Amino acid sequence: MSVDALLPGDEPSPEAYRAHIRELEARLEESEETLAAIRRGDFDAVVVEGPNHERLVYTLENADRPYRVLIEQIQEGAFTLGLDGTLLYCNRRLADMLGEPQERLVGRSLHSFVRGDTDLDGLVRTAMDSPVREEIELVAAEGAERATFLSLSRLEQQVDDPLLCGILTDLTEQRRSMQALAEAHARLQLESVERERVEEALRQSQKLEAVGQLTGGVAHDFNNLLTVIKSSTDLLKRPDLPEERRRRYVEAISDTVDRAAKLTGQLLAFARRQALRPEVFDIGQSLRAVAEMLDSVTGARITVDARIPDEPCYIRADLSQFETALINMAVNARDAMGGEGTLTLRLLGGRPMPAIRGHAGSRCTFAAVSLADTGIGIAPEVLPRIFEPFFTTKEIGKGTGLGLSQVFGFAKQSGGDVDVASKPGIGTTFTLYLPQVETPPETTDARVGDERDLDGTKLCILVVEDNLDVGRFATQIFEDLGHDTVWATNAEEALAEIEKIPFRFDAVFSDVVMPGMGGIELARTLERRLPDLPVVLTSGYSHVLAQEGVHGFDLIQKPYSVEQLARVLGKVVGRRRSDGRKR
Amino acid sequence: MAGTAPRSLRAVESVRRICEAHLAGRYELEIVDIYQQPEFAERDRILAAPILLRIAPLPERRIAGDLLDAERVLVGLNIQPAAEAQR
Repeated sequence: MSVDALLPGDEPSPEAYRAHIRELEARLEESEETLAAIRRGDFDAVVVEGPNHERLVYTLENADRPYRVLIEQIQEGAFTLGLDGTLLYCNRRLADMLGEPQERLVGRSLHSFVRGDTDLDGLVRTAMDSPVREEIELVAAEGAERATFLSLSRLEQQVDDPLLCGILTDLTEQRRSMQALAEAHARLQLESVERERVEEALRQSQKLEAVGQLTGGVAHDFNNLLTVIKSSTDLLKRPDLPEERRRRYVEAISDTVDRAAKLTGQLLAFARRQALRPEVFDIGQSLRAVAEMLDSVTGARITVDARIPDEPCYIRADLSQFETALINMAVNARDAMGGEGTLTLRLLGGRPMPAIRGHAGSRCTFAAVSLADTGIGIAPEVLPRIFEPFFTTKEIGKGTGLGLSQVFGFAKQSGGDVDVASKPGIGTTFTLYLPQVETPPETTDARVGDERDLDGTKLCILVVEDNLDVGRFATQIFEDLGHDTVWATNAEEALAEIEKIPFRFDAVFSDVVMPGMGGIELARTLERRLPDLPVVLTSGYSHVLAQEGVHGFDLIQKPYSVEQLARVLGKVVGRRRSDGRKR
Repeated sequence: MAGTAPRSLRAVESVRRICEAHLAGRYELEIVDIYQQPEFAERDRILAAPILLRIAPLPERRIAGDLLDAERVLVGLNIQPAAEAQR
């Protein structure tokens, strides 16, 4: 503050002078103290004016020692570099990395320590504009290569003689652990592939063994049945056989064929390849009937507690498969309880289906049938496998491992699922979810009426069958029933027959699996072209049928009886007639 | 202050403690490293570091030398010690 400014235009007052003097004294005291402090060495740095009036900071004594220590001891290679790549300074760590003593490095070019394919000059040029950060390979004095991460930038404040400063980070350890990781990963993958292969081989051999056992058992049973048939037919060939004996042999053959058909049906069900014959029925009514039967299956010391509501609950499923599933679950429950306990049968209608084993649930209406036992329960490690075909925890000869597989197959094929909850030592509950339907079943009286309509009517039937024996047999049966037949050995030929005289046939009876277009396609074609012509399909086993159902066509499964054939023919032709009358 | 030199670090620590003891809630303290921000040295006409400046209220005051001596710092800044102020 200038003393003249205190009272402009006037002579300053004595008071102003005194204030001014106090201010000057304070400033003087400050300056003297600063000088004294400099003399005492109470400062770390002084600021002086450079030749271009810029401020330069001069460090006193060893005031910058902490920085030096930092750079010298840091575990990264630190350096400054001239624009030609000459090393002007380097710390100890960099010397270690380059494999040369520190004192022999300064003044040498970094070029001699980088791998030939590194464009060091390019990096230097780039770093003058903006910092460079990238991986480079160093070659140490003894020739060993070393992966490093370089960060290089312009060293500020060196206006006259531009310099670069840089850090080299050793990546050797990092590379080594990454490589170890990659190797471990590869090894693990190899091991897991190998394990999968071994497991697959084991599964395959187990499957083969199981299939072998099963085939052996089935062959044995079949041979027994065939023996009955063979000896019966041999006996029938005797000329002087009394009529009563004759009838008995024929009965025996017929019964044996029924048993054989049941056997193949079971096999197909186990293989989940049976075409289901769904019908609408009251699940409660069926459960009550099964519950009564279960008493005999489970034995006297197991109480069967059936909690089934009175109001009807309809589902569309294959009734006999449904009953088989219930019995399979009940047999397991019996074995789990060691012959003693309580088996609770419950029915709950109008339920959504929860998510089961990772499959999404459904908000549609399901009937939930549950069987709860008080048995030993299922061990958690076994639980995921219980629905696998041939998987069994029972002793050899006690179980085939097909029971729950049938339950699972039936549930899935019926558009539902089966869930299981088990607590070891407490018990297991299986719950079948089956899609519920609104409509009550159609009355069987109508069918009987249809069948009666056929009495004494002579029909012309187109038989489509590629197997000569079966074809001959089928045409024979129809003729014995009093009908005319035309036999085509494939679907194309059948269509040609129909083209010839379109209204010649009253019904088509066709095999499903045939060379060419096959039975289902034939039925579809006829449905379009001649919707009034009834088509009955027949099959022993069909992949398509098993997967997609019968597409609304009537199906007779092989082997079929004369009665079945007569009944279904009566049904379809009768239906056509009653439809015709309505029109 | 001047970088991480021991005297500078101790000075910063001491000044912060003095301010907290005698001026709690009534001060703003800025620490300027003249290595990092030399332009501030020019602006504030700094000759040497560490040094403590009182910028407000005017008149400006600067205390050089031993900043560990609390009494000296308080006298230099013309601040009454908190203990005396309470009496």
